Amino acid sequence: MVKFTKEMKEALRVPGKGGSLIYLCTSSRDGNPNIAAMRFVATHMDDKILIADMFLLKTKANIKENPEVAVTICHPLDEGRWWVFKGKAVDMEYGFPRDFDWYGANATDILNEWGNWNKAEPPDEVPPDIVFPKAVQRGVVVVHVEEAYSIEPGHVGEKVLTG
Amino acid sequence: MTVNLTDRMKAWIEAMGCHLCVATPEGVPFVVLGRYAEVTGNGEVAFALAQDEAKVIAPVLSENSRVAFGVSRQGGIRAAYQFKGTGELLRSGSVFDTIAAQAKEEKGIDAESVLLVRLTELYCTKPGYEAGQRLDGMTPEELDAWERQRWKDVPRKRD
Repeated sequence: MVKFTKEMKEALRVPGKGGSLIYLCTSSRDGNPNIAAMRFVATHMDDKILIADMFLLKTKANIKENPEVAVTICHPLDEGRWWVFKGKAVDMEYGFPRDFDWYGANATDILNEWGNWNKAEPPDEVPPDIVFPKAVQRGVVVVHVEEAYSIEPGHVGEKVLTG
Repeated sequence: MTVNLTDRMKAWIEAMGCHLCVATPEGVPFVVLGRYAEVTGNGEVAFALAQDEAKVIAPVLSENSRVAFGVSRQGGIRAAYQFKGTGELLRSGSVFDTIAAQAKEEKGIDAESVLLVRLTELYCTKPGYEAGQRLDGMTPEELDAWERQRWKDVPRKRD
């Protein structure tokens, strides 16, 4: 089991709280990659990354057929946030069995705390020409991180977290 | 079909570099940075990769050439696009020589290889009703007009 560092936990928060814009990378079961930027991000326990299911299309379809994902920091990179987290994801949508468990993360706990994310952490820092007119959240993507590697120039591929 | 890019898209790609995503044939994704990027032709983008960067994606690309990328840094939100295509790692030839020399001069990157991506798909990733809209069917004029209605900002090139 991996354990996030303090710096990782600080980075894996919404940008308005000093966190990051992230890229969530998924793939179809036959290897068609997909990359999409996400603003609503948090950590849970010591090894879970949470991402709001808002506006997900291909990402959602990919996770439903293939749980393998990678999460990386898109911005800001210059603060030493050179990490790629790899693991398995599930999209805990509303209506999931309340006792559903994903590697120790409980659906009731996740949806109670993060199910209305736009209200809890509104996107005040997002520029007006980018911000969405209405947030419609359908669930929370839970990534169980199993390892992480570096993308820092000169150290690319080096393990920074191992299970 | 050629995927057209606007001048603004080219500027963001080249100024910020890109996050490059590949996947094994079984669907395991990997990511590295394409710190030096240049749009080399209509629908082609070249990335200079150092040895350690190429080492992560070369084994994957040898089995599955599909590549998806998004613009790094502020480009993740200001240039809200996903670019998809097929990638080829070049270690010699005129494209390699040119890109490697420019990457060394402009960013000090010792390029071991150059990833040349031939684009096949282009998507809008702006959050909201336009998320996932496919744009590669537009003519260059249509695409330019579509983008100008939304954004005009162009970043300065990074050191």
